[in-house]
Amino acid sequence: MTIAPPSHSPLDLEGLITLLNERFGTGISLLKEAPGLVVRVLDQAVLRAVSRFLFWEADGFFGGLIVEERFGEWTLQYLFLLRHIGWVDVVVRSPFAQKAIPSIVAEVHAADWYEREAEDLFGIDFEGHPRLGDFILHDETWQEHIAPMRKEFDAAVRNFEREPNQKWRPTLVVEDPGSFAMPVGPVYEGGLGEPIHFLLETVGEDVIREVPRLFYKYRAVEKIAEGKAVSDVLLLAERFSATSAFAHSLAFCQAIENAVQVEIPARASRLRVVLAELERLRHHAGAIEGICQSTALSVSEAHAAIIEEQLLRASAAFTGHRYLFGLNTLGGLQRDVEESGCRDLLRAIDDADSQLRILEDRLHYTSSFLDRLEDVGAISLENARDLDLVGPVGRASGVARDLRKACPYASYSEYSFDVPSEKEGDGYARLRVLFAEARESARLIQQAIASLEPGEISIPLDAPVSTVAFGWAEAPIGAALHGLRLDSQGRIERYRILTPSFRNWLGFHLAAEDFAFQDFPIILATFGLSATECDR
Amino acid sequence: MSFWFWNGLKRGIQSTRYPRLPETTPGVTPGRPMATTFASAEEAAHAASGCPVGAITAAGREALIDLRTCIHCQRCRFGGSPPVEWVNDFEWTQLARTQTSFEPLNRSFQRSLHIMVVDAGDCGACLREIKQLNNPLYNIHRLGLFFTPTPRTADVLLVVGPVTENMRGPLEKTYHAMPQPKKVVAVGTCAITGGVFGRTFASAGGAGMVLPVDLEVPGDPPPPLAILHGLLVLTGRKSLQLSQTAAAS
Amino acid sequence: MTAGIGFPLFLVFAWCAIGVFFGFFVSERRIPALLAWTGSLASGAALWAAVASLIGNGEFHRDLWTVRSIGTVTISLDHISAFFLLLAALVVLASSIFSASYLRRYVGHYSLCAFNCWYQILLASIVWILIEDDVLGFLVAWELMSISSYLLVNFEHRREGTKQAGYLMLATGEAGFLAVSVALLFLASRVGSLEFSGFRGSSVEIGRMAHWSVFLLTFFGFSVKAGLAPVNSWLPRAHPAAPANVSAILSGTILNLGIYGIVRVNLNLVPVRTAAEGSILLIIGAISALLGILYATTESDLKALLAHSSIENIGIVTLGLGAGIIFTAYGRPVLAGMAFIAAFYHMMNHSLYKSLLFLGAGAIDECAGTRDLDRLGGLIRVMPYTASVFLVGALAISGLPPFNGFVSEWLTLQTLLRSAELPSTVMRLVFVLCGAALALTAALAVTCFVKAFAMGFLGTSRSKKRPAKDASRAEVVPMALLGALCLLLGVLPTYVVPMLNRTLALIIDREATAALVPPFFSGSPAHGELPAAFVADFHNLGAQVGQFLPGRGLVLLHRGGTENPVVFAMSPSYACVALGVFLVLIWIVVRRTTARRTAVRRELWAGGIPRLLPEMTYTATGFSNPVRVVFQAIFRPGSMGDTRQTVAVHFRTAIHRQRRNIYPADSLFFYPLGDAVIWLARQFAGMHHGRLNAYVGYSLGFLLIVLILFRVS
Ligand code: SF4
Repeated sequence: MTIAPPSHSPLDLEGLITLLNERFGTGISLLKEAPGLVVRVLDQAVLRAVSRFLFWEADGFFGGLIVEERFGEWTLQYLFLLRHIGWVDVVVRSPFAQKAIPSIVAEVHAADWYEREAEDLFGIDFEGHPRLGDFILHDETWQEHIAPMRKEFDAAVRNFEREPNQKWRPTLVVEDPGSFAMPVGPVYEGGLGEPIHFLLETVGEDVIREVPRLFYKYRAVEKIAEGKAVSDVLLLAERFSATSAFAHSLAFCQAIENAVQVEIPARASRLRVVLAELERLRHHAGAIEGICQSTALSVSEAHAAIIEEQLLRASAAFTGHRYLFGLNTLGGLQRDVEESGCRDLLRAIDDADSQLRILEDRLHYTSSFLDRLEDVGAISLENARDLDLVGPVGRASGVARDLRKACPYASYSEYSFDVPSEKEGDGYARLRVLFAEARESARLIQQAIASLEPGEISIPLDAPVSTVAFGWAEAPIGAALHGLRLDSQGRIERYRILTPSFRNWLGFHLAAEDFAFQDFPIILATFGLSATECDR
Repeated sequence: MSFWFWNGLKRGIQSTRYPRLPETTPGVTPGRPMATTFASAEEAAHAASGCPVGAITAAGREALIDLRTCIHCQRCRFGGSPPVEWVNDFEWTQLARTQTSFEPLNRSFQRSLHIMVVDAGDCGACLREIKQLNNPLYNIHRLGLFFTPTPRTADVLLVVGPVTENMRGPLEKTYHAMPQPKKVVAVGTCAITGGVFGRTFASAGGAGMVLPVDLEVPGDPPPPLAILHGLLVLTGRKSLQLSQTAAAS
Repeated sequence: MTAGIGFPLFLVFAWCAIGVFFGFFVSERRIPALLAWTGSLASGAALWAAVASLIGNGEFHRDLWTVRSIGTVTISLDHISAFFLLLAALVVLASSIFSASYLRRYVGHYSLCAFNCWYQILLASIVWILIEDDVLGFLVAWELMSISSYLLVNFEHRREGTKQAGYLMLATGEAGFLAVSVALLFLASRVGSLEFSGFRGSSVEIGRMAHWSVFLLTFFGFSVKAGLAPVNSWLPRAHPAAPANVSAILSGTILNLGIYGIVRVNLNLVPVRTAAEGSILLIIGAISALLGILYATTESDLKALLAHSSIENIGIVTLGLGAGIIFTAYGRPVLAGMAFIAAFYHMMNHSLYKSLLFLGAGAIDECAGTRDLDRLGGLIRVMPYTASVFLVGALAISGLPPFNGFVSEWLTLQTLLRSAELPSTVMRLVFVLCGAALALTAALAVTCFVKAFAMGFLGTSRSKKRPAKDASRAEVVPMALLGALCLLLGVLPTYVVPMLNRTLALIIDREATAALVPPFFSGSPAHGELPAAFVADFHNLGAQVGQFLPGRGLVLLHRGGTENPVVFAMSPSYACVALGVFLVLIWIVVRRTTARRTAVRRELWAGGIPRLLPEMTYTATGFSNPVRVVFQAIFRPGSMGDTRQTVAVHFRTAIHRQRRNIYPADSLFFYPLGDAVIWLARQFAGMHHGRLNAYVGYSLGFLLIVLILFRVS
């Protein structure tokens, strides 16, 4: 795999179409469709080449894989986000009878877990994927060959027959007679850590490699959404991951709004920026608290914790909910805010901003703290790009992607803000990115509140029927994409959530290689990932 | 680092005075919908139909709220007109539905209660709110409440989340690893009834389906003080007042 | 007394001969019993001779025959020889009984007739070495011992690595033998006599340079057998290859023979008198001790671990001998006596617990099918008896009271501390450093044997095969015997020290017992080293204590001179009693307080996973990895990095980590040396091309060189 240098003259849509036609000719058929381009792969033999082209040569961001079961065949949709062009969907159709679909892992490493997920939940085999099975449905709990995302599977049936694999054993790769796997979790730190099972492959204190086993919190959100009304699924979108509840409900609402192509009132779209940035600020304060805690610097931990709690209180005072639930609604926001509320919020934001600056300054001069973060859990730019890491983790390694800039939504294009990024990719770089982003969020909130004008807070909007909808938002952890298919009654037929945590967890093992055992909590904390967002 | 120490001291005591004094700072609780008397029975029925999870039941002009299922979507507050009344309290703890009576832990636990948490698939909010209890603003150490890293020394198990299929085993293991006497508190709507996730192939629909739950702290998520109240009820330092009325509704 | 010793000695050889003889006639299945009986009877006879010699005063001496133009072959048994004979007899006795059951595993696989033959010859040659009193016989016996032990180590010759281990052992052993022969024959030619008695007192006549060369050559030669750094790497290879009973003899006796050689030649025949020679022993001892225990701690093959630990223990013994020589050189005979006593005490202890541990390792190997500590675990549940005797050995070797290792290490350390009285600053510094190394060694030894015991007997097994049964009685009994001796020597040092002092009278100028075992009940405080007031104090105390406590005080106590008034005292016997009392008290208290409670057994808490898999439990390598990390500088040349196998950039399909335990001396010196020799041989190999005229050319060229050399000289 050679990494082609990104082409210097930016590719536009026409150029891309010409290039694709030139390269793949009859293997594909192209269709211009908002918000970008659909590439139908007619000959599966070119799938790999197409994805390699889009990912490496066109320097695309791999958004994820959406699998659908329609008309007796699989539809696989690979999402790429290309600069200056927008979303390019590569669509592959495959009849159920087909044994396996070519895996694109060797070309696009970021697709690894998406394919494993599809294998586990739909039962699709991917040819050329090095490790399939035992992913979301743990082998020791679930029978192999259960495919819950299939249409015929009834989500409400609980007591189905199953023979879980009692003899399940982890796949360990370190070959040394003295090596062993140190198990951590799923219940660890007194349960205050999210349930993830880590196997640290080690020969004592120095850990050679780490394997996270996630999906303990798999609640099948995508499955239970099927057949539900849009307003009910909005509750799910909001509640499957509370630390970025607003971002996900925003992406969900924007998907519908994009589909019916309505313009929501300016006040609502500006308030959405306020709330989304409030959530980011609060999330980052929490993440910084986690980092301080992992290095056992208690005073700074308390400092950050107070900032977080004050922001939670400000959120509740401002909106009525500490985690910003129940605000987004189709076509705007559910409630309006008062002038005094904005003033109180601004005060709280100013306070949090200055406290964070003080904290950053103090941490910056605490060498014992920096010693524990520097060079810990580093991810190179190359690896980050390979796996297309998103959010603060990707930005700390130099992948400065941000949906707020790349394809702006709400009213982000009205405001000036930076997307901070670093190069080192280590724990300290990630901490610096968190601080810088928190500052930018405060700046955005101030700008957005200043720009608020009185007006409508929402427009009435009915759910569309028989359509697909696609929305996105930059959640605190990174890019969140929501894809929907609505049936003829306006009910959800397929709901797909592509979360940033899912993406970044995939890259976690690269940061957790060859480290000392005591650095493990630090690597974990600087990644600041959420299991619930990943597991869904 | 001496400056950390000094700066820590300089900030002084920030902790809430609760439970000695009531806590009224704005934002410590999101509040809750409360039983409301409407002008007409239709209005009450309208309010009841507007709730996405059926937490509101209309009884004549009266609209009664079942906090156990309420997911704090605020639709009855802003979405429907006229709104259901909201109240800004947080002492929401109530007896688990399966229990008929409640016996608090004996005196020796009043100043030393060790807490184990199991995240059985929550959305992250309940867990975060439990974590907030450790921050200086709540500082539950002052009340003799401690989080413990192992179930071997735990007296109470806080369960959050609807209990996913993958977490059911670990949750049961944790419970069985705890010594007697032990209490189980379901924290948050998901842990009580399954919340928006319900009872499906992947989630058990509440901790009560798996373990004998003693107390329930409703809320989505319950704010830290509500969880604190639950712990105080458990040790007999607060009584189950509201819960009686809530259970009656 | 002479006859009382000669007869048992004769019996030793007679039983060995009977063993060899009948070995050819009985069936293979009967040989273990035959070997056990004749071996035990022979060692019993040796024990008789040794005890008779140690109790009696008279020395046994006999000229066997005179070979014309060479000299007289003489045998004698003085106290030093008798002491070594005693240890050898104890170890061989235990190992012979053990063999009765242990050897059965070989029936049908390897020739037990041969094993029996070599075993008896080894036994006889060991005794012969100890009683030999002239150069020729000594060298012949030594060579016999070398070869028979090589053949025994090489017994399982079809197993991988055995042959290499055997060759290495033979080659290094022969190098040592060569050095010793050169030195002894040189000495003999200088003195004009082959008899040892002729050597005594010759150290002055032969001159300084000759004295030094004899010292260096013999010390090198014997230290190969003793397994001292830097020529120790045969030891950790030979042990894993050898059967367990041979390992026990190798470690419990043959290493001692190396020490015997050093003691006999360098302390008795041509005594070294300068501090420089002593400090060579001291430093090499300290280095061996530290290196040995470091490698033992990071080793995961149980027998290799024990072999590394033998290097450590012999290092401690050598360190004690070195200290004794230095104290003698600086005119501190009492301190020297203490150091020698400590060294001999430690050597005796090492023989006992190490042969116990080796037999235990054999029992584990037999029952669990592996000695790899990374695979073992949980054996205590199936092998409770082996576990308890192994625990005794592990506690003793870790230097924990009330077992014998504690007494001798404590004595050695205390003696080293007395170096503050030495006049030379450099020497004090050396002592301080060696003392520190010894302290570190003692600490690491605990880590090492916590690992050996815990990883073997506790936890869960990581191997597929489940051991079914405990070791047989014939295996446990000799181990228990050795364990009992360990306890006895640990509890009653006040009886052992005078015995050692008597034994060592040949090399110690002055009585040291009095400095160590206070004469509580012997009314006269007439010991020059001790101030009268001090003795009086303790006499009073002793008199009071003695009213209700038994024996000879049972306290080891020492008080320094006037310029360095250190006082150290210990009483393992009382400590043992106190320990017992406390244990009983604790047991009673626990029983009382928990009588009304019921304990519930629950599954292990492992974070909520279904069950803790064996591959999730700590391995021996993992346990000792921190040591490896801390002492990276020493291990570095031997440890290698990781190699990763990857698919699609980030899929790790395999990560291979290589680690090798190579002593620095090997990796820095011997391996390059070997490589160079092979390289050189390769260069010359080109000359072998089979062309006749070239060979004629070589001969002519060689002749020319010889002629030129002769002309020049
Ligand atoms: S807040 Fe939502 S869930 Fe709760 S009662 Fe009102 S409408 Fe029902």
